[in-house]
Amino acid sequence: MASFLLRRLLALIPVLALVLVIVFSLVRLIPGDPAVTLLGPGATDQQIAALRDQMRLDEPVYLQFLNYAGGLFRGDFGTSLKSGAPVLDEILLRLPATLELSICATLVAILFGVPIGVLSATRPNSMFDHATRIFSLVGVSMPAFLLALILQLIFATYLGWLPVSGRMSPYIVMQPITGFAILDGLITGNWQAAWSAVQYLILPTAVLAAFLAATLGRFVRNTMLEVMSEDFIRTARAKGLSKAQVVLEHGLRNSLLPAITVIGLKFAEMLGGAILTETIFAWPGIGRFMFEAIKNRDYPVIQGTTLVFSLLFVLTSILVDLLYGVLDPRVRKRMK
Amino acid sequence: MKLLKLLAGAAIALPLVLGTAHAQNSDPLKTLVIAVPSDAVGLEPGANRAEPVGSEVILNVFDTLVAWTSPDFAELEGRLAESWTVSDDGTVFDFTLREGVMFHDGTAFDAEAVKFSLERTKEINPYVEATFGLISEISVVSPTEVSITLSEPYPAFLSILAQPQSAIVSPTAVEAEGEGFATKPVGTGPFKFNSYQADTSIVLDANPDYFRGAPQLERIIYRVIPDASTRRLELENGGVDIVQQQGQLAAIAAEDVAALQSNPDVAILEAPSQIIRQLEFNNNNPDSPVADIKVRQAIVHAIDYDGLLQGVFGGTAERVYGPLTTNSWAFNPAIQENAPTYDPDLARSLLAEAGVDPASLDFTLYSFQGPLWGAVATFVQANLADIGINVTIAQTEFPAYRALQTAGEFDLALDGRQPWYNDPDAHITIGYLSSLADTAMTFRMPEDAELDSLITQAQQEVDLETRKQLYFEIQEKIAAKVPGAYLFSPKLIVFTRANVKGLVINSAPPLNEYWGVSKG
Repeated sequence: MASFLLRRLLALIPVLALVLVIVFSLVRLIPGDPAVTLLGPGATDQQIAALRDQMRLDEPVYLQFLNYAGGLFRGDFGTSLKSGAPVLDEILLRLPATLELSICATLVAILFGVPIGVLSATRPNSMFDHATRIFSLVGVSMPAFLLALILQLIFATYLGWLPVSGRMSPYIVMQPITGFAILDGLITGNWQAAWSAVQYLILPTAVLAAFLAATLGRFVRNTMLEVMSEDFIRTARAKGLSKAQVVLEHGLRNSLLPAITVIGLKFAEMLGGAILTETIFAWPGIGRFMFEAIKNRDYPVIQGTTLVFSLLFVLTSILVDLLYGVLDPRVRKRMK
Repeated sequence: MKLLKLLAGAAIALPLVLGTAHAQNSDPLKTLVIAVPSDAVGLEPGANRAEPVGSEVILNVFDTLVAWTSPDFAELEGRLAESWTVSDDGTVFDFTLREGVMFHDGTAFDAEAVKFSLERTKEINPYVEATFGLISEISVVSPTEVSITLSEPYPAFLSILAQPQSAIVSPTAVEAEGEGFATKPVGTGPFKFNSYQADTSIVLDANPDYFRGAPQLERIIYRVIPDASTRRLELENGGVDIVQQQGQLAAIAAEDVAALQSNPDVAILEAPSQIIRQLEFNNNNPDSPVADIKVRQAIVHAIDYDGLLQGVFGGTAERVYGPLTTNSWAFNPAIQENAPTYDPDLARSLLAEAGVDPASLDFTLYSFQGPLWGAVATFVQANLADIGINVTIAQTEFPAYRALQTAGEFDLALDGRQPWYNDPDAHITIGYLSSLADTAMTFRMPEDAELDSLITQAQQEVDLETRKQLYFEIQEKIAAKVPGAYLFSPKLIVFTRANVKGLVINSAPPLNEYWGVSKG
């Protein structure tokens, strides 16, 4: 297990190096100069030249790359062209918001998606199965911004139960400690803040979870149906196990393996920032940060966020592989 | 089961605990929540590049020596300066400063702080090099007197001193915070900086010791809400008190204004801006069909200005008649009287006079991106089609658009300017001085010794009345050359909850002060 982990972690280095080279050259191929973009239509050439000089954009690209790569080894991701702040600090400031949302959305999606899948599989072509099929279709095909707007209108405007957007009531002033709003509220004993953070989390979570729950529900149903026709299920039934035991211990456990891959992939995607959801709900996450950076041609921020995403993506896939080992003894054996 | 009991217990206990933790939170009736579309780039006057969000925060946390007097914004008043005199040659500005003003960190404001702040901006901010670069010396005469000498006369310098870049910072705080000052600003203004959370909020607290009197609000919260429809929902729900229109080229959708007009909980404040948007000719290409003034006149008369204002903007923009907006102190009323009118027949006969067959004209109309610019471009396209001119629209991504505009690779382009300081110089010099034609997005005026010298003269003239007459003459000369069709000036529109009182919209630049604002 340890050597498997080590091998996978070592493989990270070439992956990240390749990502770095690709991103570094790609961002410079996007037409448009950061100084021109940042200063807007009113600027003069003199102002633009001065800013280019300040941002050191006039250096040859290979020198810029060497400086950047050298900085990375020292943990220096460069500074944002827009704000002048260190990129790593800026990413770490926003990462908790994205993590909070992604983790909650994934948990909610599992909480709804898996039972729906199991129940539909045990009652194929029942009313329940048809109903969940429609739910899944809507969940998968409705664009995030539309679902977000509908939920905002229903729960915030008409019912008044939940806030429209944001991460916490603006009237509550709390200095972040971990950056996870709910956790910070709990740690400091500020229950009002924690409760407010929960309320603000509900709608964006619902939007993100809807898609994943729908995908997961259909996925679990289909693999489950396959698994339930396997020989070992018949054997389990034959030896007199209760229906629940057959479904949950033998059926579900075996159909969860592919589902975990789906969850892992989707979770990693969410870490890459749900740009639309974060924008509509004014959620201060990393996806929006990257989107703004692309608009502004903020090279160091685009590079930094892409590297962090790649790292998180690869780490998630390693985690998925490890989970495979936990759930499946055959895989565990191979890992050794 | 144990877990369930625990959760149930927590659910019962929660509301009890909730009642006790109110202390540090703000009173909604004394707190103003302002929605802004993006995070402030920085809260540091020294590094400010006229970016709207940061600029407005700076003007509420800091003071400048002088400021434009509300509500007309046509005259300057003293803020940290009690009075000032300008030398006859227009190069020396002597200021007498207000006494007894304290920075938020408890240190005293004095002439040294003025020298420190302005020299600092001059040193670290290349964006204002053209204006701050004129400062040759700042001398401290006494703790309440400071004298600024320019290398050449520049009357608009007082207007520059009213800008966020000229805000007076606490030297002690700058030295203590170093680079951290950008997110922990300390000034003398009506509001003190409380906290900043990236992409989320900026919180300012009232400064009870403010020298003009304590503000009525206890707190201002800027909330970053990037999505326009979310901002509108928040305003309708009372989640924010003010939604501002911001961004150089953005405008509020006309249908949003109409919908909010009928909402009794929402008030709409409007003020004319000094922004000008025009259909620009390439005035520096003798091979272009628009090199013929008759063709330019024909195009200018082909545009249905009022139709554009009503059809595309639903009344959220105003007519522009020439190189300056009607609310500028230097605006020449004669320009309005002689402004081109919508007259397609005249346009057709002008083309005939020029001996140009409209069918032979096939223009590409370059424009910025975005639905609003698209709508304007389509409107112009239809107007020109009406007199037989074929136009293809090319909405081009900004950096590429700037490159082709400054290279002069166009015949027709939609362009505009939002002046970042309140002076006719901000439109005229950069827009029409021939030596600057290729250095920015300008009207690309060809060399004209007479007009060029008038512009330079007006830029340096010390006597206000003479200066005004010079600008009158300049406007007439420019209008006679028909360098473009002046299309519209978007109004500054601010949406507030109905209980917000006392807000006056500042027109140039559109940055609001919240000192006198209250919530009823």
